[in-house]
Amino acid sequence: MAPLLEVDDLHMHFFTRDGVVKACDGVSFTLEAGRTLGVVGESGSGKSVTAMTIMRLIPEPPGKVVSGDIRFKGESILAMGEKEQRKLRGDRIAMIFQDPMTSLNPVYRVGQQIAEPLRLHKGMTRKESWAAAVELLDRVGIPQAEERARNYPHEFSGGMRQRAMIAMALACGPDILIADEPTTALDVTIQAQILELMQEIQQRTESAIIMITHDLGVVADMADHIMVMYAGKPVEYGPSDEVFYNPLHPYTWGLLESLPRHDVDDKGALCPINGQPPSLINLPPGCAFNPRCAYARPECLEAIPPLVEIENGHSSACLFAGDIDFICQFENRVKRGDAGTGAGE
Amino acid sequence: MMSYFTHRDEKRRQVALEAVSSTVVDGSGPEGPAGPEDALAGPARSLRADAIRRLKKNKLAVAGLIWIIIIILIAITADLWVPRWLGDPVAIDSTTAAERMLLSPSTEHPFGTDKLGRDVASRVIYGARVSLMVGVLAVAIAVILGLIMGALAAYYGGLWDAIIMRTADVFFAFPYILFAIVLIALLGPGFQNVFIAIGVLGWPSIARVFRSSILSVKENEYVDAARAMGASTRRILIRHIMPNAVAPIIVYATMSVGGAILTEAALSFLGMGVQPPDPSWGNMLNDAQSFMLTAPWMMIYPGVAILTTVLAFVLLGDGLRDALDVKLKE
Repeated sequence: MAPLLEVDDLHMHFFTRDGVVKACDGVSFTLEAGRTLGVVGESGSGKSVTAMTIMRLIPEPPGKVVSGDIRFKGESILAMGEKEQRKLRGDRIAMIFQDPMTSLNPVYRVGQQIAEPLRLHKGMTRKESWAAAVELLDRVGIPQAEERARNYPHEFSGGMRQRAMIAMALACGPDILIADEPTTALDVTIQAQILELMQEIQQRTESAIIMITHDLGVVADMADHIMVMYAGKPVEYGPSDEVFYNPLHPYTWGLLESLPRHDVDDKGALCPINGQPPSLINLPPGCAFNPRCAYARPECLEAIPPLVEIENGHSSACLFAGDIDFICQFENRVKRGDAGTGAGE
Repeated sequence: MMSYFTHRDEKRRQVALEAVSSTVVDGSGPEGPAGPEDALAGPARSLRADAIRRLKKNKLAVAGLIWIIIIILIAITADLWVPRWLGDPVAIDSTTAAERMLLSPSTEHPFGTDKLGRDVASRVIYGARVSLMVGVLAVAIAVILGLIMGALAAYYGGLWDAIIMRTADVFFAFPYILFAIVLIALLGPGFQNVFIAIGVLGWPSIARVFRSSILSVKENEYVDAARAMGASTRRILIRHIMPNAVAPIIVYATMSVGGAILTEAALSFLGMGVQPPDPSWGNMLNDAQSFMLTAPWMMIYPGVAILTTVLAFVLLGDGLRDALDVKLKE
């Protein structure tokens, strides 16, 4: 049987006045039912574009899928007509947006908005869908759901709105839930609650989740697989534990190192990756990460390294994957006692 | 964390039971009583109720609204009492005209009489019918045209946008009154053509306001969210974008009614609008020109009527702007 979702060498480019922005350049992954994929990367690494392309939310023009395919249960989403795509969206594939403050329509009651996909896809009447919306609100942990459903979004707090968004996405019992930085706009305690809620829901509904985030901590105990993206390309892909404990790409290592750690008595600054993400119009030659890479060698400038499998299911787009002994900049820095330039040896 | 879940599960059972026992759950939603134990948000009120409450606080807007309601009531009921009490606004009684003309205000003729012995108050009241009708009908035409054009331009963009907005620019390029006069010269003067002309000339401003309003609303994440839930373009435009984009149109349209009344008065004053002997505030002013010093009441009362009515619409529009602004919370 075909996997639930297959993204096959997807290239989504934006044709702008300044040039072609290769926002998503050769992304491939498969997602099985009930599994979670974490997509990690900096701002502008193409994580959101990948998700939006799956949902077909990118206006064309300026965007265009140059090559590649997205298959849902073996059927190409890109080849579908607008009407068929609409049937899929919100029903089989649903999305949770980053900012719950702006993703609910201010003029409708929360209950009405949660009821809308049910009326669109399940042909429910106003009454039925309202009752279902109340139940959904309750399921995502909103107290007094029946009264709260009558509220307008501005009467909800941030965490409650995100719960409402989750209820809306879950309404039709989707096979895939795409969460685009669902916790970024929330404070830390609410973040934990929302993540917990999503996990709980996944256990109950068996739906697959694509969790997009720039925070490794968010996907750490949720994701089965992790895809690290840089400059529109996946640079590392593998089972979650493998990526965390045995990173094969210097960029992943850099991300891991830039996390604050509570196990070390940290009096200094954090250990960031030097430099800035490259312009997607004008990528550096060879490996896009080489200007910022502490382990770059002359070969890195020559060709774009492909994503190759290094060991069982764990792939990396570094020419020297597995050959590099990553140096803990953090300990280096503490030893040297300076501000940590992040430069390698 | 376990306690958190069990607590919630229990809560869910409770609410589920309640949901079963309560019979009617209406989607359009009556105003529900808010739980007093709910600290996070205020009571559930609709946006409309909110707006009305804010409007009520604005004294000037309320005054404008009251004045508009009074004028509308007077204009609607005029046939019932005005001719009997004040005299016919149009007919001239040739036997008594000579002794009744140009009388200054008195108890019998509170606003005086005009050069043909007709009661000015009666004419002002019947003139209100013309002014209000022209104002409302002209703005209705402008709003319908403007909304369609603005929505097309904003949502489809590209060629549609270019064609519609450049056409609007052509309209803006001509002096407004001059354009209206030309149109009426083509169509012929009269009540109907006045509001058609004003309405047709009014759409570009509405289209512009609506277009920019839609363009800013379109960027909101809830539009993406609606698309992600599988809504069609038409549904998104009508259900998700329009309701969020019409607030400025309501404000603009309200103020435009005042503007249309003023334009009608100007056109009638120039003899291009409502034709004598039918009364309109504009042609009454025209009549009053030669008697400005000898019979100033002929000029003052229609003038005051125009001033107060236009002012009332502008004040109301101003109040609506503040009232409809969701972000402007006290």
